Amino acid sequence: MSTEARFATGDWYAVVGDHATVLLPGSQRGRVAQLWDLADSGADLDAVLDALLAGGLSSLDHFALVAHGDDTTRLIVRGAPSAAVSSGSGEEIVSATAGTTWAERVVTGVTSVRVTLTGDGAVEHVLTPGLARVSAVEFGAPAHATATEAQAEPEARPEPEPVAASVPDPEPEPEPEPEAVEPEPQAAPEPVAAAPLHFGEPGDDPTPTGETPVVQDDWSDRDGQTQVGVPVPDFDRPPIPGQEMAPSVVSQPVASLVFSTGDVVAVDRAVLVGRAPEARRFASHDQPHVVTVASPQQEISSTHLEIRPGAGADHGSAIVTDLGSTNGTVLAQPGLDPEELTPGIAVSLIPGAVLDLGDGVTIQVTNA
Amino acid sequence: MKNVDLHHGAATDVGLVRKVNEDSYLVAPPIFVVADGMGGHSGGDVASQMVVEEFQRLVEVYDPTRGAEHVADAFARAQARIVDYGNAHRALQPGWHAGTTAVVAVLVDDHGVAKWLLANLGDSRIYRITEGCLEQVSVDHSVVQELIDAGRITEQEAAVHPERHVITRALGSPEGIEPDFFLLPLGSVERLLLCSDGITGMIDDAVIEDILETVADPRDAADRLVRAAVAAGGRDNATAVVVDVVGLVKDATYDSQRQLQSLESKLGGRL
Repeated sequence: MSTEARFATGDWYAVVGDHATVLLPGSQRGRVAQLWDLADSGADLDAVLDALLAGGLSSLDHFALVAHGDDTTRLIVRGAPSAAVSSGSGEEIVSATAGTTWAERVVTGVTSVRVTLTGDGAVEHVLTPGLARVSAVEFGAPAHATATEAQAEPEARPEPEPVAASVPDPEPEPEPEPEAVEPEPQAAPEPVAAAPLHFGEPGDDPTPTGETPVVQDDWSDRDGQTQVGVPVPDFDRPPIPGQEMAPSVVSQPVASLVFSTGDVVAVDRAVLVGRAPEARRFASHDQPHVVTVASPQQEISSTHLEIRPGAGADHGSAIVTDLGSTNGTVLAQPGLDPEELTPGIAVSLIPGAVLDLGDGVTIQVTNA
Repeated sequence: MKNVDLHHGAATDVGLVRKVNEDSYLVAPPIFVVADGMGGHSGGDVASQMVVEEFQRLVEVYDPTRGAEHVADAFARAQARIVDYGNAHRALQPGWHAGTTAVVAVLVDDHGVAKWLLANLGDSRIYRITEGCLEQVSVDHSVVQELIDAGRITEQEAAVHPERHVITRALGSPEGIEPDFFLLPLGSVERLLLCSDGITGMIDDAVIEDILETVADPRDAADRLVRAAVAAGGRDNATAVVVDVVGLVKDATYDSQRQLQSLESKLGGRL
């Protein structure tokens, strides 16, 4: 049998894969979405049936499943749908009798199968792999056409083969319409760049079992409504008042720090000094140097001060900021009286400057 | 880097309202991840799982001396996969997006010293217990967090703010990703918590602190946190990963066999 198929529009879903076609009522949107993945990957009838039944039979009152083998056609019908099967040995109507689970047939030499879901519309659209909303589906040559071909031809009734080539594919939508339409009004009114991305409402979850939430949800928060908004750059590190943002990393160190402990550190990026310094909110490319200094008397705070390349008027030199240390920092610049650093206020360092953190730890600033 | 003994526990629950658990987590010492996926139509759980898979892959090649670079690479690979996945689905459903938050904790070797490198994107959180107190380390990438930072609303107002669900950074965002990193000395972290907003949105920091400080076993602590969030309403998927740094040990790396043995010895009296 030719596997060429046509359909009449309606409100059932047809999930058409290469090997198997599933027909489900409009209420089974969740299952349709799951099955499409499977059908599209070329799953056979057994795999599709397995997935179809995974959610339980109780929520699945009606469906039809048609699979084409090399020369056999397998057909399962449950509930309302009925199928008319024409084969070399005659025509048969397959439908599930009330009270049975389903009706199943394996037929060889099939010439056509017509599955009627709702109504008896003319199957005038070509059914290609994908999703379609249907009321009836027919595979192979129409049952009456084989018998009365000569007489059917002259009538304006289009025949399958020529029509398939000439009629423009009437099925441009590979997805279920209702879902496709939904997100659009939200995104459309806003300029694309500014519109938050919508990640779907909780009700959109297609799950094997349910159309309705387990608990009627009248809460409005913390239920998966998280959205991505517009990124706002640089809100994280407020610039020091009156100064330009310092570059995070510079190619040439602006100074070298000689610690009383013997460490020497180049200032080509932020340097954090303390008893147990912590670096916060940096990007992977500007990881600060952290320098741990011993402080037996606990005079040095865990993250005591920061030294980084300066910007603007301080471009090319290092600047130091006391990060709110408990016991403070004393800065001695050459030719000036020692001064206590004010927490949070950056001071430009000149070569020869000495920083005293307490507990005998000093940092001397030298040319890079 | 000396070997560090880590004990850990993890728990997750779909909650009482949602039907799919879109949270994923990874517990593969020294790498820990919690990701909270977003998106209907199986977008969120796939996205969060992709993050976990990329970090799982990292476990095999992880070099602690290049921790930040490795973590950034794993983020970049996860981002590429999620964007591809989103694009493929968008062909079928215009406007469809998959995305996920992520919080990551890895041990790194910073010039011979073991430290915690933490990273976050979105509104999942990293907390630590330090000197007996709970402290939130990560800073949410969210509209309300920015309003709080700008001094325009209080934390109480944030809890009921209409835009409280809007996050400003996430994996899967077409704008690209910009994770925040944190480098903490090992000794400043007595206990680490990675969790999704299904925990923090349901129970107060005071409850989290109480559980983390009173429940000794990290497995029990993770379990208690998730159960408390579900008992408080379970409006979202809730996931918690709790890690204890037991101490610096000479020659034994963490291994799951030892954790199993310790579990058996605990149960031994009752078997």
